Amino acid sequence: MDALHSLFAGFETALTPLNLLWALVGVTLGTLVGVLPGIGPALTVALLLPVTAKLPPVSAFIMFAGIYYGGMFGGSTTSILLNTPGESSSIITALEGNKMARRGRAAAALATAAIGSFVAGTIGTMLLTFAAPAIADIAVQIPPSAKFALIMLAFVTISATFGGSPLRGLISLFVGLAIGLVGTDLQSGQSRFDLGRPELLDGIDFITVVIGLFAIGETLYVATRLRKDKGSVIKLEGGASMSRQDWRRSWKPWLRGTALGFPFGAIPAGGAEIPTFLSYTLEKRLTKHPEEFGKGAIEGVAGPEAANNASAAGVLVPLLTLGLPTSATAAILLAAFQQYGLQPGPLLFVTNGDLVWGLIASLYIGNVMLLALNLPLAPIWARLLLIPRPFLYAGILVFSTVGVYSLNNSVFDLFLLALFGVLGYGMRRFDFPVTPAIIGVILGPTAEAQFRTALQQSNGDFSIFARQPLTAFILIVVALALILPPVLRARAARRATAAP
Amino acid sequence: MTDVPSPPPSTARRGISAPDLLVALGVTLLGAALLLGSLKIPFGINAVVGPRVFPLIVSVGMTALGALLTVNALRGDRAEPAAEEDTDPDAPVNLGAAGIILGGFLLGAVLLPTLGFVLGTAIMYFSVAYAFGERRWGLMVFVALAVALVTYLVFTHGLGLTLPPGVLKGVL
Repeated sequence: MDALHSLFAGFETALTPLNLLWALVGVTLGTLVGVLPGIGPALTVALLLPVTAKLPPVSAFIMFAGIYYGGMFGGSTTSILLNTPGESSSIITALEGNKMARRGRAAAALATAAIGSFVAGTIGTMLLTFAAPAIADIAVQIPPSAKFALIMLAFVTISATFGGSPLRGLISLFVGLAIGLVGTDLQSGQSRFDLGRPELLDGIDFITVVIGLFAIGETLYVATRLRKDKGSVIKLEGGASMSRQDWRRSWKPWLRGTALGFPFGAIPAGGAEIPTFLSYTLEKRLTKHPEEFGKGAIEGVAGPEAANNASAAGVLVPLLTLGLPTSATAAILLAAFQQYGLQPGPLLFVTNGDLVWGLIASLYIGNVMLLALNLPLAPIWARLLLIPRPFLYAGILVFSTVGVYSLNNSVFDLFLLALFGVLGYGMRRFDFPVTPAIIGVILGPTAEAQFRTALQQSNGDFSIFARQPLTAFILIVVALALILPPVLRARAARRATAAP
Repeated sequence: MTDVPSPPPSTARRGISAPDLLVALGVTLLGAALLLGSLKIPFGINAVVGPRVFPLIVSVGMTALGALLTVNALRGDRAEPAAEEDTDPDAPVNLGAAGIILGGFLLGAVLLPTLGFVLGTAIMYFSVAYAFGERRWGLMVFVALAVALVTYLVFTHGLGLTLPPGVLKGVL
């Protein structure tokens, strides 16, 4: 077993005392920031990037692994104890989990979410361990034209699934692509859209875009529409725990959620929303307590939470093997790799095996740490939700400023941050999803590079995209993903009007 | 999700929403501006695909999508403002709060190199807290300075980043 052998080597890297410490720091910070309302996993990773700036790559990625899973755990605590969720993949958790908490079963809801996340995360990481090297072996042979097609697939599926309408998602994507164009073109040395500003020659740092769109945009948006009542954070006495009956009702949803979540995370199909909804529907159909659904059924927390975390593990498969992010968080991880001069993709397993396997091993370790951190310490995390909003959002803004200012010690970057903040406000107000823009900024330059490499290999012959079989196949899927949903919707609408 | 707080809320649902139409036209104009910019990029020498091909694709795409959005807006489509953890969809929209935050942020950013990181970010902190309705002045000043100072110390001494000390040079 080659994968097992590499995994053991990875554990040797991850289990050194110093790296264990970084993993612990990562999961703690990840949970801490993830619990704060208004901060989802993607922003958690982006805000904590400067913290890792001075670390060697292996330690930095071990810490990232912790932050990544920690942010997911933290998010579910928020959605159970506070009634509305920050990210769409926790909507379901909020739906049933918050109802459970309201009925005085907060401890059980938090426990089934945490243990379910642990089970799903561990199984998902195991699947990743064996699937990733196998896929990397095949992925080496994928030609540039097909890589370009794969990126198109990610673009289209992410734009179509996030947010209200595919059109708004696509516009968000194109805004991101346009931002990604700014700066010097690496292949020709030609400067593009620099508006005469020397600061723009190096392009716009993705951290500025991510923090501007998420943190500043969110702060501005919430300030204009602040909830005046105190909200209702549910008080929690003692740690998260559940009864024998809760266990009996939870373990099957955990496993089914994992089975749904992992594959949906691994294919570019728009992240964790779909599997959590599917899991919820499935549990609702299979349950012996249908009367509890909508009033706080434990199955409705266990399944979707497991699906959410399994898909977080699944997302790492295309990220590590193809360099293809399928969620905003994964896109930020990709950019973090690039900052260290590493290009995720099939070759990463060969050139930086110790780093990749150290990262995968620390995902296992981080999961165990998170379980230990979340069950007994739940009341402490819950207290974070009580931070008065003026002080919380002011703090988020200050941390955002550090993150962006420390990139180049430049005030110009802060002006850009404000600009993207206003853009982020507008996107929330006018229902444009933010994730496609992030994916566009980070993946746009890669898409262009693959596009040009493919055409250079074919001497400028555009038919390469139709003649290369894999490329053609993926591009047909892309076209279908674009055309089918509106056609189906139009037909459904026509049938609805035709019916009396 | 309740009704959109854009004026006028009482008229027919399919009426054209001015803000939505403006946004759609803005996207279209942005696409057109990008297209003009792309056409100024030289073809590039000795390259099969030069540096202007991809920008052209992006700007044509953006213009087309903007045009589609404009058509939809003219048909009466309107966007539903997002619902977030701390927002109240029924609350009256208070654009002044966003203005205060933005103003405080820009002021702090401009003063940051001369006054130093601590005072610059303290201004930002204070303005956000004020915009969110906090009025306990003493507490606000104290927390703003404390958060800015702790952040500064953690990032410079703990993480080895360089941030400008400004007027507090020598003290920190």
